Parts: sequence; structure tokens; C-alpha cells
Amino acid sequence: MIGELSRNTPVLVQGATGRTGRAHVQRMLAYGTKIVAGISTRAGVEDVEGVPVFQDCKAAVDATGAVASLAMVPPSGVPAAVEDALSAGIRLIVTVAEGIPVHDALRIGRMVRQAGATWVGASTPGLAVPGEMKLGFLPNVSLRPGPLAMMTKSGTLSYEVGYRLASIGLGQSLWVGVGGDPVKGVRFPDLLPLFVRDERTRGIILIGEVGGSEEEEFADALRQANTAKPVYALVAGRGAKEGVAMGHAGALVFGNVGTFESKKTRLEAAGARVFASIEDLVTACRQDHPVK
Amino acid sequence: MLLIEADGKALFRAAGIRTPEGVVVAKGASAPALAGPGPWIVKAQVPVGGRGKAGGVIRCDNEAAVGAALRQLLGARIKGHEVLSCLVETAVRSADEYYLSLMLDPVHYGVRVALLAEGGVEVEQATQAASRIRLCDPDQHAIVAAIRDLASDETDDRQNAIVDTAEKLARLFLTRELMLAEINPLFFDRAACVAGDAKVVVDLNAVHRQGEIATLIERDASAYPDADRKLHDGFDYVEVDPEGEIGLVTTGAGLSMMLIDELTARGGRPLNFCDIRTGQFRGDPTRLMRVLEWIGERPSVKVVLVNIFAGITDLSEFGDLLCTALERTPSIKVPVVARIVGNRFEEARTLLAARRPDNAVEESLDAALARVDAVLRGAKP
Repeated sequence: MIGELSRNTPVLVQGATGRTGRAHVQRMLAYGTKIVAGISTRAGVEDVEGVPVFQDCKAAVDATGAVASLAMVPPSGVPAAVEDALSAGIRLIVTVAEGIPVHDALRIGRMVRQAGATWVGASTPGLAVPGEMKLGFLPNVSLRPGPLAMMTKSGTLSYEVGYRLASIGLGQSLWVGVGGDPVKGVRFPDLLPLFVRDERTRGIILIGEVGGSEEEEFADALRQANTAKPVYALVAGRGAKEGVAMGHAGALVFGNVGTFESKKTRLEAAGARVFASIEDLVTACRQDHPVK
Repeated sequence: MLLIEADGKALFRAAGIRTPEGVVVAKGASAPALAGPGPWIVKAQVPVGGRGKAGGVIRCDNEAAVGAALRQLLGARIKGHEVLSCLVETAVRSADEYYLSLMLDPVHYGVRVALLAEGGVEVEQATQAASRIRLCDPDQHAIVAAIRDLASDETDDRQNAIVDTAEKLARLFLTRELMLAEINPLFFDRAACVAGDAKVVVDLNAVHRQGEIATLIERDASAYPDADRKLHDGFDYVEVDPEGEIGLVTTGAGLSMMLIDELTARGGRPLNFCDIRTGQFRGDPTRLMRVLEWIGERPSVKVVLVNIFAGITDLSEFGDLLCTALERTPSIKVPVVARIVGNRFEEARTLLAARRPDNAVEESLDAALARVDAVLRGAKP
């Protein structure tokens, strides 16, 4: 589903009439996202930024044919929002809320898996097909169409990388924020086949963090994939103290599990390049993908 | 977040799981009354794995040795954590040890249960012993059935004792929304199991509905300064080096982590991690003032580095709040380097130049890092 996204994909926004929801609906529309419906349980709201508002996803999908959803609801409302979207047949759901309890995320993950849908999040800034559409917060200043596909745990670090690439004329083919939570929807290794297959993509940027084993799983998948597309990686949190999660609940180093060294070693053994700084990564991308 | 052992064991006991008799001794407290004739084990209460290898666990045969061990450990640093308290426990005499753990499986949306017939193993060894691991649905029945299966080659009394502990651990794991509950070693002692250690990872995003865990954190806020701050102030601030020279006022977890790594690689000593979340300011400088106060409390700080990537945040509004916060935080007497980039940069730069002419403002991160290097070498920003 992520690979098929374009400016023609009809999407709906859950929680569209809140203060933040409304502001982002406006920004996404301006970027080119085809938002066909908003969902709000508030009575009496007929439209948001000219987009018709419905009481639930079923009504919205029936009326508009939306296939993807962006949920802009508080963390406690995410399980119900996902359930609503899935029961309406939504195939891709992006949840941006930070702070979803992991046992809730477990239930959401099982629900989505059973429905055969795709979940991006939680705690993601969203995703984008630069120049076409975006779902979420990814700032325009960092988005630029180009040959590099990005998969990232962090929002801000990816903004910084995207911004520096864009400022030297290098852009992205696809950008998916998987989020920094330990239990989530789409994970790094899930995205690899898509990025390998995608004809717009000439290189892959992975922006990881210490904690968990997602980067290691990606490395294993990369080894199997046997692709000629280069992989450029950053792994933030080398200086994290064991036992203390820095900001992202998933960024927890425990014993030898989830350490920087483990991730760097496995990624490099699989052929990825792991950089010590943002500038080093940007420089390598520029050398490999000269801007005409 | 990993609980210290004493708190993990408090959860265990409340769930009906046996633990050895013990007493917590805080730094500065007088010698405790010890239970039984010994021997005892003195354990540093720091939230890390591998405490034994790091010198944080000392076996003592007499009371004098306990006193010496406490003097040695309290106030020492283990894997970067200051030892603020020790748990002194009666040593369990049993040589029969197991490893038992329940862990969330983020790939399969289930729970991984592991039972090994040897205690004291490293967690990564345990997670690689494939034949001793079962993946199951996150429900009580499935978890207990999996452990019963893993314990099927034990004698009846042992199997019963292990399953009894597992039932209690599973209920605790599910009702308290834990991410990891590990008992390593789990002793088999006189027909029952006793938890020799407790590694419990709690979910801070669930604390608002987990009163028992919230109480543990509040009761012992000094052991969990980062969680305590997060719960009270609503954002993340983690002190990574109490003698750090660079105070960080930053937004975004990933970018803040990367900044710490880059500063460290350049030979700098960052004081803290900070994800202040500028998007939640709503015109109020309080968060900035809180962070500046915490930084100002550390005399080792020589420079404050502000790094804000404003995808959406209005930088001129941020600049105004930063000036106000700095004006109201007299404890910050060191140079401030502000790296800001994004929405309405020029307005913000003009505003900062007018109100804080001594502060350096940069749009490029590398230029800001060079300024920080210069300040640390004694130059003006």
C-alpha cells in the first residue's frame, strides 16, 4: 500500500476538527494530499478546510472511497480510531500520537494484522511521497523529490537529514517514519522489499536508534535481499546510559541488547554504511548520487 | 524504564512471588539490622543488567563484611549510575537455579516466555536459547501453558513450583502492562521458588493508569529522576553526565541523541539529553525555564547549546520565549549558542540579536558546534 501512494490516493483524517488536526489538514491539502474526508465525533461540524466531515470511517469510506487514514487523535483514542478505520476497510492507517501504552500497541498490532492492513506508527511524524503527498507532520523544508528512500525512527533527526539533503539538491523517493516506540506497525525490515523494488529509489537511508532489535532485523533482511542499492545509516544514542530510555520508549539499552555496537556491527556486516555524524552521511550520499 | 531490583521485588511480592528476606540501605543511612545468621548478598540498586560483572554484587559471610561492602558500593558509580542504595539480602542456599522471563515480542505482537534450567545467564544468551523459548499470545492462559510445557521435563514438585510462580508473574506482567519481567536466578528452595533477582521494565506511557507503579516512582524519585521529571513536567530531560560542560536545550529525541553523540565524538562532554517539545509550548516559557534551571544547577557547565529544528514551530515565537526564559533564569551565566533553523528564522535572529546581543545565533548545526568548541577553548561565542 505504501508503494502505491500518490497524489491520487484518497485519504481521510480522523480527529480532523481538533486544533492540531485542522492545522495539519490545511498543510497537507496545500502539499497536495488528496484528503477526501474528515472524521469527527463533534456534532454539527460539516466540513474542515472545505473537506466534508463524517461521524465515522464507514460513512466516510462509503461516500468518498478513501483507502488510507491519518489518525490525529490523543493516545487513549488510538485503539478505537484504528478499530473504526479497519472496520471501514481502510488499508493503510498512520497514527501520529505519542505515548500509546505498549500493551495497547500490542492489541492494535494484532487487530491490524488480522485485518491484513498496514499500520504506520505509533509515535511517527508520518510518511511522504515527496512532490506527491504526505500524511502527517513531515516539514516541507525537508521534503524534496529525489532518489533516496528514507526509513526513520526519529522525527527531528530525519528532518535534519532531509533538510541538509534538500539544501544540496538531493531528495527522497519515499519517506516513512516508523516511530520510536518499541511496539509498532511497520518496522525497518518490512520496508526493505518495498524500497528495493521501488524504481524511483537509488539508495536507502536508515535512521535508527539504540534499543530493541529493529536495526539488526533490518541487517538480516538486507543480507538476504542481495540488492545493489546502497544503504546509509545513522544510529543515534551511542551515549545512552544502560537502563535509561532517552525520550523514545523504544530507545532502551539493556545488557548487550540494543546497543550501538550491536547495531553498527550487524548493519556493516550486511553491507550498510554506518556514519558517525549527519554530515558524514550527507557527504556520502552526495558523492554517490551527484546532483546534476 | 527498568526498575531497580528492590522495586521490582516489591511488585513481585505484591503479586505473591517469594523473594529472599532483605533490607534496603540508602546512601548516608546507618547500618541496618540484618535478618538471620547470614551469609548475605549486598547488591547495588542501579537500573542496569550485568551488575555482578560490573562489581555491584558482593557476597558477605559476616556483618563486618556487609558494612565494608556497603561502604564500597554506596556512592560509587556502576555503568554510569550513582549507587544511591543497596539491597542487603539473605543469601539463598539453594544451588538449583533457573532463568524465567516474560518479554513483549514486538515482531509477533505476543509474549516471549523463556525458561532455562540454569540461573545467572546473560539475557542475550537466554534470548538465543531457541529451544527454551515459546512465543505465545498475550493472555494468561497461553503464557502459563507455555511455561508448563517448558517445565515438562522437571520433576513434579519443581514443575508445580515453577508454574505457580509463572502464573503470578504472568498476571503481574499483563495487569501492570510490563514490557519485561525477568527472574534470574529463580531459586528452587524447599519445594518453592524464590526470586533471586528482579528485572522489570515498566511502560511510562501506562503509568497514568498503573497506580502501584506510579507510587513506586514517586516514593523513590531520586532513583528515577528522569521518569519523575517526565511525569511532572511532561517532557524528557535525562542527565547523562553530572559533570558535563555542555547544557542542551533541544527538541526531538532522535536529534538530541545524535547531538550528544556528535558532541562526544568531538571531545565534548554533554550534560544532558532533552526533548522539550516546542510544539507544546503554547506561548509559555515555563519548560524552557525548567531546563535552564536544571542546567544552571551544574557548576561544570561552560556553555548552553540550543538546537531547534522548526518544521512547524514559529521560530520568532520560540526566540521570544527563549529570551524571556533566559532573562528569568539568572543562574545561567555561561555563553549561549542558539542554533535555530526553519520557519521564520530571520525574524528570530533579529529578535535574539536585539534582546540577547551576547548570544550567538547560527542556522547551520556544524557552525553552532564550532562555536561550542570555541567557547570550550576559552573564546567568546
